[in-house]
Amino acid sequence: MSSTDKLKDFSEKLKENLGDLAKKVEIHKGFILVEVELDKFKEAAKKLKDMGFDHVKSLTVVDRIKDGVFEVGYHVSSYLNKELAKYVVELVTNVPRDKPQVPSLVDVWPSAEFQEREAYEGFGITFEGHPDLRPLLLAPPVAELKPMRKEFVVKEEGIYRELPKKEETQASSKRSG
Amino acid sequence: MSNSNGEGKVYVGNLDESAERARELLIKGLKLDKIIDWGTTFSLWPIDLTTSCCGCEFAATWGPRFDAERYGALPWLSPRQTNLIVIEGTITKKMACALRVSWEQMPNPKFAIAMGTCALDGGLFYNSYNIVRPWQIIPVDVYVPGCPPRPEALARAIVELQRIVKKGEASKTILRGMARSKPTPKLKEDPCSWWWG
Repeated sequence: MSSTDKLKDFSEKLKENLGDLAKKVEIHKGFILVEVELDKFKEAAKKLKDMGFDHVKSLTVVDRIKDGVFEVGYHVSSYLNKELAKYVVELVTNVPRDKPQVPSLVDVWPSAEFQEREAYEGFGITFEGHPDLRPLLLAPPVAELKPMRKEFVVKEEGIYRELPKKEETQASSKRSG
Repeated sequence: MSNSNGEGKVYVGNLDESAERARELLIKGLKLDKIIDWGTTFSLWPIDLTTSCCGCEFAATWGPRFDAERYGALPWLSPRQTNLIVIEGTITKKMACALRVSWEQMPNPKFAIAMGTCALDGGLFYNSYNIVRPWQIIPVDVYVPGCPPRPEALARAIVELQRIVKKGEASKTILRGMARSKPTPKLKEDPCSWWWG
């Protein structure tokens, strides 16, 4: 049985377990993506925890400013279950940018605590039910700026000039030729 | 290296000559400020503020190969017992508070060396939202450019600082009660405001 077949089998198993909770289950390079609606987020996390995924490897936030959402993703895996330890599952939900509130998963996976604090200081996402929500690495006045958001522009940016148009057309013609 | 005047000379290496010169200074009954300047020149105790990779070069400077101890400087632990601070690398906004507090804890006479491009003007992080320039926080006497600078460059900076001290920088502050030739910068905002709450 090849590794791709194994992944397919496992994603089928995930679909069965999550049932209606999962919006979509996709196989990506290195991990399986599970997208969930925001109101079913915590429920899905509890389901995964019951399956045997016992820790959060990383928490990523993508600022999709054109769609007006933050994409919050928890990469979860297992230490104790040796079969599950081979897989990484990313639990993803979309949060509206104008009301960035996500239910905190600290009571499901305690290892998410510091990572949620880091997402809070960078993007200003409030994790509801987090036991100690304050900036982790940045000083509070800097964290108020929400520096990881796309709309935050650093002061001295824009020192690079664009290439002259002549050179651009030459380069493109070379490429096509 | 010693001559009759002894002006503008830095004594490096030869212990016999240095001892002879010290004896001369004492027998001839020189002024106290000259003795203080001379003493401070060869007892610089740098404390390292290792905030990034320049710390490796700082360690190598006092390692066996480059051995900057022969110039009369040895890294020490507590800012309350040192007279030289070497800023190695980027100073973030949180670290600026620590830098200013350690600077104010150090007894007079005190000096500062900024090491590496990040400590000069931000370097790689020149447009980051989270850095300050060290010269905005404390008065820097010697700058060492490079990313990172060679250990020889840091040793050279210490010799360069010894030249400055020999001109009367040390006795000026502790004996005559005068201000440093490089004034302490006025802070635009309190770097520790987030800490006091």
